[in-house]
Amino acid sequence: MKKALTGIVLLALVISLIGCGSGNGKEAASSAPASSPAGSADASPSASASESKDPVKLRVAWWGGQARHDYTLKVIELYESLNPHVTIEPEYAAFDDHWKKLAPNAAAGNLPDVIQMDISYLSQYGGRGQLEDLTPYTQNGTIDVSSISEASISGGKLGDQLFAMNLGSNALLAVIDKAMLEAAGGTMPNEDWTWDDFTKLGPVMKSQGKLLTADLRHDVFFPFYLRGKGQHMYAADGKGLGYTDDQLFIDFYTRYQEWYNNGYLLSLDKLAQKKGTPEDGELEMGNAVSTWGWSNQYILSSTVAKRPFEILPVPGWNENKALFLKPSMYFSIAKNSKVKEEAAKFIDFWVNNIEANKIIMGERGVPVSSKVKEALKPDLTPEQAKVFDYVAWAEQNSSQMDPPNPVGAVEVDKLLKDTAEQILYKKLTVEEGAAKFREEATKILSKN
Amino acid sequence: MKLRENDHVVGYAFAAPFILGFLLFIVYPVFSSLYYSFTNYNLLEAPSWVGFDNYTKMFTDDEKYAKSISVTLNYVLASVPLRLAFALGVAMLLNKAIAGIGLYRSAYYLPSLIGGSVAVSILWSQVFGDKGLVNSALGLIGIESSTSWIGNPGTALWTLIALSVWQFGSSMLIFLAGLKNIPKDYYEAASVDGANKVRQFFKITLPLLSPIILFNLIMQTISAFMTFTPAYIISRGEGGPLDETLLYSLYLYKRAFTFYEMGYASAMAWVALIAIGLVTLLIFQSSRYWVHYESKGDR
Repeated sequence: MKKALTGIVLLALVISLIGCGSGNGKEAASSAPASSPAGSADASPSASASESKDPVKLRVAWWGGQARHDYTLKVIELYESLNPHVTIEPEYAAFDDHWKKLAPNAAAGNLPDVIQMDISYLSQYGGRGQLEDLTPYTQNGTIDVSSISEASISGGKLGDQLFAMNLGSNALLAVIDKAMLEAAGGTMPNEDWTWDDFTKLGPVMKSQGKLLTADLRHDVFFPFYLRGKGQHMYAADGKGLGYTDDQLFIDFYTRYQEWYNNGYLLSLDKLAQKKGTPEDGELEMGNAVSTWGWSNQYILSSTVAKRPFEILPVPGWNENKALFLKPSMYFSIAKNSKVKEEAAKFIDFWVNNIEANKIIMGERGVPVSSKVKEALKPDLTPEQAKVFDYVAWAEQNSSQMDPPNPVGAVEVDKLLKDTAEQILYKKLTVEEGAAKFREEATKILSKN
Repeated sequence: MKLRENDHVVGYAFAAPFILGFLLFIVYPVFSSLYYSFTNYNLLEAPSWVGFDNYTKMFTDDEKYAKSISVTLNYVLASVPLRLAFALGVAMLLNKAIAGIGLYRSAYYLPSLIGGSVAVSILWSQVFGDKGLVNSALGLIGIESSTSWIGNPGTALWTLIALSVWQFGSSMLIFLAGLKNIPKDYYEAASVDGANKVRQFFKITLPLLSPIILFNLIMQTISAFMTFTPAYIISRGEGGPLDETLLYSLYLYKRAFTFYEMGYASAMAWVALIAIGLVTLLIFQSSRYWVHYESKGDR
């Protein structure tokens, strides 16, 4: 009896081992053809077009909200229908979660083939050997850059290596609900407005029970303010802050505090509950007269609100040529990808294909390809056209953007937000906040 | 002899799935985290050895770390006693012979079944939000309030404590079982001697229940120290406002996955392990002064 039992158990073990074994076998079998065409393609790029018809699995990861997920999946469908041998596995999440998923994948050597990249993480991933240099692919034409300006491409460079392909140009702007402003008795400012002009709208809107805006993103607008003063947030070598005079911090946050204390901004306890989606935005819901952000976000804002807005440049844009164009986001190829050639083709499709861009419609920034931009013009809605016009205008009135944020900037950005909250909650004076921010930020950045 | 060997084989074969899983998914990660705790590891590059740097930084040069400890201690000191008291109170109510008692017991256990989950935390942020249930209820009794209890630094942690107290079910069940084990004659004898209900509670119920209180206290303290999900969901992963809900495990998670400092986070995990072990030991040591066992033999 015991022997029989032993036999059964051993048999069960053997069977389960076989089960595991065959599972591995399957994996190996499916990954083998995926890697072989890449190998051959690398060796002879010219022959790849005809030879790489073996099935290819491509993992593409991005962040965004529901609207972006929806149209991105449509673009992927289009790509798959044009390239039947390619199967794309989408991996999408919200911004924060995207990066939380990516790092462990990097540690496991398992990054998705195509990764949507942000400027604040470019140094971390590119500088630490996780991303492939795209230069060979732009040189051999796999990624066609013939209609893309050098300025647009260089935003993805670290040193002379191109780690990320710009998907669209962005510029900072203020979105104003002109109708609401005029109904409240205010007059629409012109593009030469100042922060004081903005402050003066505060009491006008407050008398109607409206806000100026929910908030201004600290890690975006404080650096922009610094640019207007001819300074930068980060030192060129990334080992410290780029501005030396804390008075700049004090000036900016004294004004910010004045807005907050006067009730022109959304109270922090309510702000903490905001999802950060346009559906949840104070401007979009008709509670605030403006919202501040990047030009690509305007498209979703106006779609959600279902009413037209006006675009104004951010005050201070004309001081020291503070205004700049920035890649809204990039696509990168993971170093560990086994199908880099196919990944590059997908990126080329995204950047240059007109049908694809008729689905994207500038939601990831104004297309970098001049051909695509021209082709889209007739199809733009009036609201989309405003963004394209604004970015074109900004291009003429801007100077070069700051280099990609140094490693540690993610933590410094959070530190800035924390410090600002402590000021607004009156736990710190503005002066104390300025000093504390410098001390802590220097500590973080000095590790570089 | 031969048979005995076979016995071992069968035993190991049956235990093999667990042992393999234990080695692979518990022992190996635990010891690699010990190694990582002495390194600087950002997940994107290979770890580099830094000795005790992570540990020294924690205690000398990290304000947020100190803040997270104070938040966690506040949370544990408030939520564990409240939860146990609440659980005991409800258990005593449910220890009565009334019609449909089984239904009541199930109903009171429900919050714990779904407890600790993401869905409940999301529900909680609605209940305590600026347009939530709590403010509506306050409005009904004439108190107008539009603050978000979750977004307010003074009340944020208390919403988490309230959530923890609300999930008293598992402790309650254990208390209930304990109460049922107390012989009825003790109470009868006490009431014959003229002891009122309060006196009976302190002289009979509490002492006889003390081993169970000890068990619940230890289990709940450990789980309170490790609370993560509600703080993460309700503060949207930030531990705000003003770091008032930055529980230890949430700060550890932020260090690991937001700032990519896996070495530092591993060191934090080891400090937490040792600290929780010490607290548990302390509770055990204290138990000889307040826990009463009916049969002295086993202690």
